[in-house]
Amino acid sequence: MPSRTTLKGYLFATPLIFVLAAAVVLPALYNAGLAFWRYDAMRDAWRFAGVDNFAKLIDAPAFWNAFWVTGVWVVGNVSLQLVVGMAVALALNSVKAFRGFYSAIVMVPWVSSFVIVAVVFLWLYHPDLGVLNDLLMRLGLVETPVAWLASPGLAMVSLIVANTWKFFPLVAITLFTGLQAIPREVVESATVDGANPVQTLRHVVIPLLGPSIATAVLLSAIWAFNAFTLAIIMTGGGPLRATEVMGLYIYKVAFDSFDFGTAAAASLVLFVLILIVTLFYLRVADPAREGR
Amino acid sequence: MSRSQRPAQFVAHAMLVATAVFVLFPYAWMVVTSIKTIDDVIAWPIRWIPRQVTFEHYAAILSDPRFMRSLFNSAVVSVVVTGISLILSVPAAYGLTRLVRGGAGRPMLIGILAAQFFPPMVFFVPFYIILQWLGLLNTIPGLVFAYLSVTLPICTWMVATSLRDIPVEIEEAARIDGCSDLGIIWRIILPIAAPGIVTAGIFAFVLSWQEYIFALLYTTSERAQTAPVLVFYLLGQHQIDYARLMSAAVLLSIPIAVPFAIIQRFYRSGLTEGGIKG
Repeated sequence: MPSRTTLKGYLFATPLIFVLAAAVVLPALYNAGLAFWRYDAMRDAWRFAGVDNFAKLIDAPAFWNAFWVTGVWVVGNVSLQLVVGMAVALALNSVKAFRGFYSAIVMVPWVSSFVIVAVVFLWLYHPDLGVLNDLLMRLGLVETPVAWLASPGLAMVSLIVANTWKFFPLVAITLFTGLQAIPREVVESATVDGANPVQTLRHVVIPLLGPSIATAVLLSAIWAFNAFTLAIIMTGGGPLRATEVMGLYIYKVAFDSFDFGTAAAASLVLFVLILIVTLFYLRVADPAREGR
Repeated sequence: MSRSQRPAQFVAHAMLVATAVFVLFPYAWMVVTSIKTIDDVIAWPIRWIPRQVTFEHYAAILSDPRFMRSLFNSAVVSVVVTGISLILSVPAAYGLTRLVRGGAGRPMLIGILAAQFFPPMVFFVPFYIILQWLGLLNTIPGLVFAYLSVTLPICTWMVATSLRDIPVEIEEAARIDGCSDLGIIWRIILPIAAPGIVTAGIFAFVLSWQEYIFALLYTTSERAQTAPVLVFYLLGQHQIDYARLMSAAVLLSIPIAVPFAIIQRFYRSGLTEGGIKG
């Protein structure tokens, strides 16, 4: 029998849990249910459809396109963010002056409104009037203006760069916090033993940083799976669906085609996919968990 | 500083300065574009330094009743969501961190935090049907309902994190002196935890202020449209007026920039202690 204090604790949490149940848990379960029903516009009624919605997805080339595009999108974002974030974290960890100033600036993209990021990058990438083309032409790096969002491969790269701008602070600050926890003596003794900076980084710092890297990769992957703002604003999923990530595909199925059942099924697939990636990743990346 | 450290320091500073340029340039360009004349905006090659500074784009957007209405809607939604989020999350965080014994509080908090990682797409359709059923499509209460699903988990986690650092002895002393539970929350916990609670409130405000996807899906008329949705409409025009778009972007950034400047330290700790979304 729990104590009176404990019961009181639950009582304090009850209103929140009630609202969370109404605003998060029930809608999510409702969504899972809808994935097995189909709206009949002729009769204005829902009918049970079994796994028809999922079968429809498997037959839809656009679904598989979104599936692969999302794969490229997530891997591209996580890799680029990890490289940029690691470089920034190492630099932050080694500077002796202005550290607070630099880390405040690094946080700016993270708190930026995503819509504004999309709009501003659209303007930076503008094919005729964009400052990026102007800069590259002045530096003599390109001869003619580049249409950053007009060809399939380049559009994907341009979106990944913009998304990395928004999300690299998450990786940089997570890794920086991890670096701060590594005792100075460990790194110094490696140096005394004759290891050069690259060897120290590879054999001492990165292994010790393992858990922070795992956290950073996981968070950055989850946000990449969930993000479709840039695609919806900057390319609309084009050209030729080359940037139509899963989130945007679901949005289109739900609100352009009004096929709620199929959209629910696709979002359920995405949810399970994220869950599998998370669990698999936690198993692989966290050796401390093994054998538990 | 020893001689051997100097090149390393130089490289680190150079990298961070490059990062700062990478981070700040888009904002600088946004501001510069917003105060250029149309002639300068469409000049090629680009005129980096405007020949003439103008505030006509700000004047134009601020005299657009539709934009002002959307700013007002954004402010109302954000304030209401912030208020409700704090009213619900502060007692819950207190109950789960301080009152529940036997280790059940922490897993519940983690479960609550995990809700922020739900893909938003899971909610597209059910929220639409629920809001339609309740007659709340195109209304501010409808948006508030949708936004709480985002802000509540984050606020609860942040308040719980700040409560964790308050020593239990203070409460026990107050309880021995005959203070009631509500008295303890009101007179002891709230004043000490105020910075953490204010931070959670600012997070809720900023998240609601910049939210756009639910607003886009569930408000199709001007009545409840928020400012980010209006940015979509500016983009949808045949000829995109980038100067006007950038001035709108500047105006929408200010309510985020000011609180960030005040509490940027807490943003960092929020990020490292729960991967809180920005």
